[in-house]
This record gives sequence, C-alpha cells and structure tokens, in this order.
Amino acid sequence: MTSPGWSQVASRLWDVIVIGGGNAALVSALSARDEGAEVLLIERSDVIFRGGNSRHTRNIRCVHGDDSEWNTGAYTGEELWKDLCGIGTGPSNEALARLTVEASQSAPEWMYAHGGRFQPPLAGTLHLGRTNTFFLGGGKALINSYYRSAEAAGIHVRYETKVTGFEFDQNRCTGLLVEAEGGAHRLQAKNIVVAAGGFEANIEWLRRYWGDAALNYHIRGPRTNDGSVLANLLEAGAHSAGEERGFHSVAVDARSPKYDGGIATRVDSIPMGLVLNKNAERFYDEGEDIWPKRYAIWGKNIALQPDQIAYAIWDSQVQGMFLPPMYGTFSGPSVADVAGQLGIDPDQAATTVAEFNRHTAPDARARFDPSGYDGVSAASQPPKSNWALPVDTAPFYGIPLRPGITFTYMGVQVDSQARVQRVDGPAFDNVFAAGEIMSGNILSTGYLAGFGMAIGTVWGRIAGKEAALNDRT
Amino acid sequence: MIAHSVTTKRGGQDGFRDAKRQLDICNSCRYCAGYCPVWPALERRTDLTPGDVTHLANLCHDCRDCYLACMYTPPHEFGVNPPQTFAEERTATYHRFIWPAARIRQSAVLATVIAVVAMAVILVGLALLVTRGNALGTSDGSPYSVIQHGLLIVLVGAPAVYAVVVILAAILRYWRFTSGSVRELFHGQAWMSAIGQAVTLKHQSGGAEQGCTYPDDRPRQQRRVFHEFVMLGFLLTFFSTASAAFSQYVMSALPPYPVVSVPVITGTIGGIGQVVGCAGLLLLKRRSERGQTTPVMWRADFSFLWALVVLNLTGLLVLFVRDTPVFPWLLIVHLACVIVTFSVAPYTKFVHFVFRVLAIYQNVLETRAPVSPA
Ligand SMILES: Cc1cc2nc3c(=O)[nH]c(=O)nc-3n(C[C@H](O)[C@H](O)[C@H](O)COP(=O)(O)OP(=O)(O)OC[C@H]3O[C@@H](n4cnc5c(N)ncnc54)[C@H](O)[C@@H]3O)c2cc1C
Ligand code: HEM
Ligand code: SF4
Ligand code: SF4
Repeated sequence: MTSPGWSQVASRLWDVIVIGGGNAALVSALSARDEGAEVLLIERSDVIFRGGNSRHTRNIRCVHGDDSEWNTGAYTGEELWKDLCGIGTGPSNEALARLTVEASQSAPEWMYAHGGRFQPPLAGTLHLGRTNTFFLGGGKALINSYYRSAEAAGIHVRYETKVTGFEFDQNRCTGLLVEAEGGAHRLQAKNIVVAAGGFEANIEWLRRYWGDAALNYHIRGPRTNDGSVLANLLEAGAHSAGEERGFHSVAVDARSPKYDGGIATRVDSIPMGLVLNKNAERFYDEGEDIWPKRYAIWGKNIALQPDQIAYAIWDSQVQGMFLPPMYGTFSGPSVADVAGQLGIDPDQAATTVAEFNRHTAPDARARFDPSGYDGVSAASQPPKSNWALPVDTAPFYGIPLRPGITFTYMGVQVDSQARVQRVDGPAFDNVFAAGEIMSGNILSTGYLAGFGMAIGTVWGRIAGKEAALNDRT
Repeated sequence: MIAHSVTTKRGGQDGFRDAKRQLDICNSCRYCAGYCPVWPALERRTDLTPGDVTHLANLCHDCRDCYLACMYTPPHEFGVNPPQTFAEERTATYHRFIWPAARIRQSAVLATVIAVVAMAVILVGLALLVTRGNALGTSDGSPYSVIQHGLLIVLVGAPAVYAVVVILAAILRYWRFTSGSVRELFHGQAWMSAIGQAVTLKHQSGGAEQGCTYPDDRPRQQRRVFHEFVMLGFLLTFFSTASAAFSQYVMSALPPYPVVSVPVITGTIGGIGQVVGCAGLLLLKRRSERGQTTPVMWRADFSFLWALVVLNLTGLLVLFVRDTPVFPWLLIVHLACVIVTFSVAPYTKFVHFVFRVLAIYQNVLETRAPVSPA
C-alpha cells in the first residue's frame, strides 16, 4: 500500500488517529478499523525498531480454560484476580482491574484472528506455562503480524513521525502536532487514541522521583519511550493515575547497554546464589522467591543499594541451572578472586560468603531442589529462605548487576470506555488511552509477568472500538 | 557452468567467535524456540564449541523467520543475524570437510564456461576419432552412435566416482567433527525419520506452518515448494538414468528409448521440474534480502541454480532433437556439462544436502533421547 503524502495526510479529517506503534496502538488501530473507521497510526520509530517496548515481550497473561492448546492447564478469572491482588498494594482501580481480568479471556482469540501466533512455553520459563501464553517468535513477531494485518486492512501507517503536541478546544482535541521528515504538520481527527507507552526512558523524569539514583538505571526498552505524549496530556489537564514511583524493573547485567538491551540482559541466577552490594555485603533474601510474581523485586532492591550496583555470586554446584548470562561470567578459584575481578573488596566478600555458609543447613545439599521451593534455608542475616546451599565449591562465578527499568506505571486516568479523564471535570470528548500510558489505573506497585500485554490488548480493543463509534452520525 | 565455489576462508576462528557471541545472546533470549529445531538444539548446548556451531548452521533451513522476529538485528548494537551467520558457517563447513580442497576463485564463471567448451571440443575430437569421422553425422537418436559406449562410461563415470568418494569422505569427517562417534551413524529408525524430515523440508515451514518469511517479510510456502520441484526433479532424473541402465544391462534394450518409456518420462518430468523449480528459486532470490546471507552464499546459490538450469535444459533439448541433425552437437554440449558438473560438484552448493541430512539425522538422535532436565 502506498501511503498518501503529507499534504494529503494533513488535509484529511481522520476518523481515528492512533498515537504509538506498539501492542496497544496496533490493537487499537485494528479494532477501530474493524468498526469501519479510517485510521491513521503514527509511530515515532522507523520500521526496523517499530513497536516500542512491545517488540521485547514474549508472553501474555490471560484467563483461559483447560482446553488451551498453548498452556499447561486452566487459569481462571478468580485465580488471576487473586494473583493481581497479591502483588504490591493490589490493583489501583478495582473496577477497571476486574474488567481487565474478565476481558483478557477473549484476547488470545482476537490476537489469533488478527495474525498473532503462539508457541509452547520457552525452556527455562516452564513455571509460566500454565498462566502465560507465549508468542511465536516473541513480541516483535507478534507486532510484525499486526502491522501486516493493519496494512491488509487499509490502515495508514506513518513511521518516524513524532507527536509533539495537542490542540484542545475545551474538552475536545481539535488538532495534533507532529514532526516528520524534518517538517512540522498539523493533523486532524474526530478521535484520538493515545498508546504511546510510559516514560521509562526519560531519565530526567525518573530523577524527579528517584533522585540521582536514576542516573544509574538501565532502560530495557527503546530510548524513544520518553513519555512526551503523556507529558502533553498531563499538561493539557489530564488526570494522572498510578504511583509516580511505580515501575517494573529487574536485575540486568551491568555490562549491558544503557537502553534497549531487552530480554537477553536480564539475570536469572539470583535465587541459586548470593547477591552482594558495593560493600561486599548481602542485603536481601535471595531465596525469597523464584521468578513469576516477584520477578520485579530485584530491580528495585538494587536501585536502593549504594551506587545502584550489586554482584551475583554463585559456585559450581549450581552453574548451568539457569539461563547463561549473555556477557559471560567472571570465574575463579575462590570467592575473593572473583570479587577482585568484579571490583569489590575481596576479603570482605570472602568473609560475607563464609558467614553465610556457616548458617546453611548440614543436609542442605541432600535436600536442595532447584525445581521448586525446597525450603532449604539459612538463618543468616539477611536470611535466605530457599535453595540455601553453601557457596563453597570452586570454581566460583560472578557478574555485576544494575536495575533494569522495564516500564513505568504512572499515566493518565481513564474510565471503563478508555476515555481520558480530566483533573477538573469529566472526560475529554474524543481522547482515549490504552497500554502502558494508562497501566497506572490497574497496577500500583507490583507486577505480574505478562500483564502488560494483557492491559494493552484489552484496553486497545476498548479504546479502538469506542473511538471508532464515538460521535458517529 | 558451476560458477563459484562456496567455500570461504572466514568462518574459522573469527567466524566462530562471532557466531558464539551471537548465539550466546540467543541462548539468553530463546524467543525463537518455536520456529525450527536449531533453537531447542542450541538450548541443549550452553557452552558452544565449533562443532556445535557447524551442526546448528547445517540444521538451519534459512527460512529467515528468526531474523524477522529478532529485536537485535543490525543496526541494533547486538547485531544478531542468525541466517547470515549460519550461511557463513555453512560455507565454512563445505570448505573444511571437502577434501582435497580445490578452491575455484572469482573468475569461476569464465573458468567453467571454458571448461565446458574445452570438454566439448575434447568430446568432439574423441567422438570423431572413435567413429572415424561419422559421429556428428548420425541422427538415429542413439548416444552411442556419437560417443562410443565404453568411452562414455569412462568420461562420465570417472568424475562421478570421484564426486562420490570425496563426499563419502566428507561425511565421515563432518560427523567426527560435530558428533564424534561413527557408530552413531547407524540407527535405522532415526535415518527413516531424518530422511522424511529432509525430503519434506519440514524445518522450512515456519513455526505455525505458514511458511517462511522469504523473500520478503511475509510468510510464504513458495521457496519450499520450488525447492521440492528441484529436489524431486533431481531424484527423478537420477531415477531416469538408473532405469536406463537397467533397461540396457538387464533388459538388453539399447537407447534411444521410446517416448513412452520409464527413462524418457521420468527424465522429462524431472528435467522440467528442475527447470521450473530453479526458475522460481531464482526469481525469489532476486527479491530476497542480501543482508540476511553472505555474498559468497549468494553467488553460490545463483551459480548452482543456473548450473541446474543449463544442465537440465540441455538434457531436455537433447531429448527433443533426437531425430534431427543437431542431435550430436547438443548431445556433446550436454555431456560436456555433465562431466564438468560431476567434476566440480563437491566444490559447489550441491553438497549442501549431504551436511543438512546429517544435521537433521543428528537432531533426530538428540531429540529422541530422553531430554535432560533443563
Ligand atoms: C524487555 C522487556 C520484556 C517485556 N516482556 C513482557 C512480557 O513478556 N509480557 C508482558 O505482558 N509485558 C512485557 N513487557 C512489558 C510490555 O512491553 C509493555 O507493558 C507493553 O509493551 C506496553 O505496550 P504499549 O503499546 O503500551 O507501549 P509500547 O509498546 O512501548 O509502545 C509505545 C509506542 O509509542 C511510540 N511513541 C512514543 N512516543 C511517541 C511520540 N511522541 N509520537 C509517536 N509515537 C510515540 C513508541 O515509538 C512506541 O511504538 C516487557 C517489557 C520489556 C522492556
Ligand atoms: C534431501 C535433502 C535436501 C535438503 C534437506 C535441502 C535443503 C535445502 C535448504 C534448507 C536450502 C536453503 C538454504 C540454503 O541455501 O542452503 C536449500 C537450497 C537449495 N537446494 Fe536443497 N536440499 C536438499 C536436496 C537438494 C537437492 C537434491 C537439490 C538438487 C540438486 C537441491 C537444490 C537446492 C538449490 C538449487 C538450492 C538453492 C535455493 C535458493 O537459493 O533459494 N537440494 N536446500
Ligand atoms: S534470533 Fe534474536 S529473537 Fe531469536 S533467539 Fe536469537 S536473540 Fe532471540
Ligand atoms: S533462519 Fe529459520 S531455520 Fe534458520 S535458524 Fe532462523 S528460524 Fe531456524
């Protein structure tokens, strides 16, 4: 499909303009198109890097029965609701969160109908196989299929186009300012869907809430997710939703790039070993949990340590039990040796590990079971509640860790039709939101793996449809 | 007509190091697990050796699905490009295991044309010598009136035997490098499933049976279908030759064979199949993304495809002009092509299927064994 030139794009009154090019944006655009709307989608990135954070994802968490081909068992709405309430301080807006849970059930079918394909759970993620459905080839492949479907459906897509501002006439958005090909343009649409992601790549913004610590964060997704559209909306009087400091983060390899390292840089070794901070001291129960629900704790744990750096240490007993770190490992015949290579005090590191080892159970090795919570604990300070083997068998291994920010929660407040709410009154007439940019309505502080894509899919469908049907005469 | 050697000097240490760097990223990512057996096989190898990389490269069916799915393709700084890396490693494979390693250089198009012409001249000379000047005047449609039977057997047979010996040696050397034990080469059941997977190009189907994303960014079955034309066509022409030999030696029926006979029918269908398949593959290849393969592999594909086209077209033409005066001339050209082809076959893309079938077989062995806990 050849896209119309800028003069044509700008002279037209679009039924729906979707801002963003990730999961929430494409689901919105396809849903609006399904209702017959003329849709323009505006993506800031180029074709290769299109898809924001969504291109880095791998699965979605939806309610399903035991007949799902891609899951290892049923996952009921009750259970998902319980899981959602069990993280952080629970859902921010109960009604919207419930709606999300319920609507997630029909998401996979919708995805399939719009080109999405699935695969069995990936190795090393078997614990997610029941609750989460994996995309064939991951999020970028999913996004690619959506773009193909969008093109086939006659949705117009503009790449390398950045939204820079909105024009409002009271409650109504009357114009959209964009920059493309070095020029500025003004676009018009009856309805706007904002699906431009969070502000995780905006270090200055994060710094407002986290201070200088934010300077040491790694951002797992693209640097273009700087929240500029969110800022525009808040400025225009949109009501914010969610906590300023709410974000999802994990431990990533400190050697990874500052931006866009994606999934490959995250570190899986923590539960099987120990984590030391800059002073070569332990600071948190490494065996508290394995990935699924608390996947997020280690990003924040490290964010709260001096200089936002930490070091994972393990020994040859557990080597090979987790995904291999992509930058390789530092290894040596003693803890002190590895610590020296990592740049922390070797003597202190050796003391810390020896101190921990003193508290491990004599029969730890016999009871150790990496496939589940084995209850093999150490009453050290802090304790380690599971998988507490003594770290004493050479060779030893270590890697440096940083907090890797996945996405931020704070966004704009919406109602059950995805309409963006105003601080000083009702909703905007014709502005809808989906995805990360409104995830703060649902997530407060914790995170459930796969729920970001569920939010984007559920709310993209709502926003796209409502936008297409809004004010239709 | 085999224009370019597919061997490359890269691969080697540098090639391995970069392949390992990329595949270590893949092993921390694993998103592509559903596309093809390369990825589960990679998961079983967390500490990659050169033998591992060679195996994975030959198991890869170049469907490009992983490339399209990958968040880390260039210009991302991780620069992950599995189809290109595997193409590089495959050409390194051909170089490493085909012995003696003759390397046909850049000017190979010219060299092959010269070789074919020279061979044709030699054939004309021999034919005239043996038939005392009558060879080129015959038009009874029998090849033996042009080239004497025993001479033909020697001329075509010698390079064919050479090719077979070189390839058998390559099989052993490859297997020792990627797998070790030669005894493992003899599992009948595993061979059955491996050959089934190879012949159906099972691993070129994309994870969801939508086909592979080649030549552009949409899943299609075209490459697989055209390749089946080539592969099955090749087998048919092979069968045609065998049946002709059977007719001659067992049934004592000398060529030319009637139009309705096994050798002529299978040869014709096989020849047309290959020409159609190659034409399709050539068209697709022109539209495919060059950045997802290597220049060496690109040229090797093209020259192999053109070689098959010329080989089969001349073969078909010989059949159609059997009763005309140009028959001896065309036969000589075709025979010259055949002889040159057999002589250089081990140094072309032709050998790809040898290593591929071995890789598929090895994969069958690995996956039927009880999977060790991850
Ligand atoms: C490494 C990683 C792995 C993840 N894995 C999972 C997972 O497995 N499951 C899961 O559910 N979630 C996962 N997440 C979270 C998930 O990515 C997000 O929740 C989800 O992708 C949000 O989708 P979105 O469409 O709202 O935002 P995004 O996908 O980030 O899209 C935002 C889009 O807006 C565009 N944009 C931004 N500013 C502008 C502007 N000014 N003008 C025009 N366009 C603009 C961007 O270019 C981008 O295309 C992961 C995140 C990361 C980083
Ligand atoms: C029986 C096992 C075979 C298998 C598993 C196989 C597999 C493949 C695969 C995966 C490719 C694409 C990747 C690459 O370029 O290497 C390919 C290419 C090719 N194969 Fe085969 N093949 C087989 C046999 C044959 C035979 C018998 C022929 C014909 C003589 C043949 C002719 C070709 C040609 C011409 C190409 C290049 C196509 C292109 O570049 O698009 N193959 N083969
Ligand atoms: S090719 Fe890319 S997406 Fe696929 S496994 Fe490798 S790194 Fe992951
Ligand atoms: S190109 Fe296709 S066959 Fe090769 S590794 Fe990638 S997905 Fe597998």
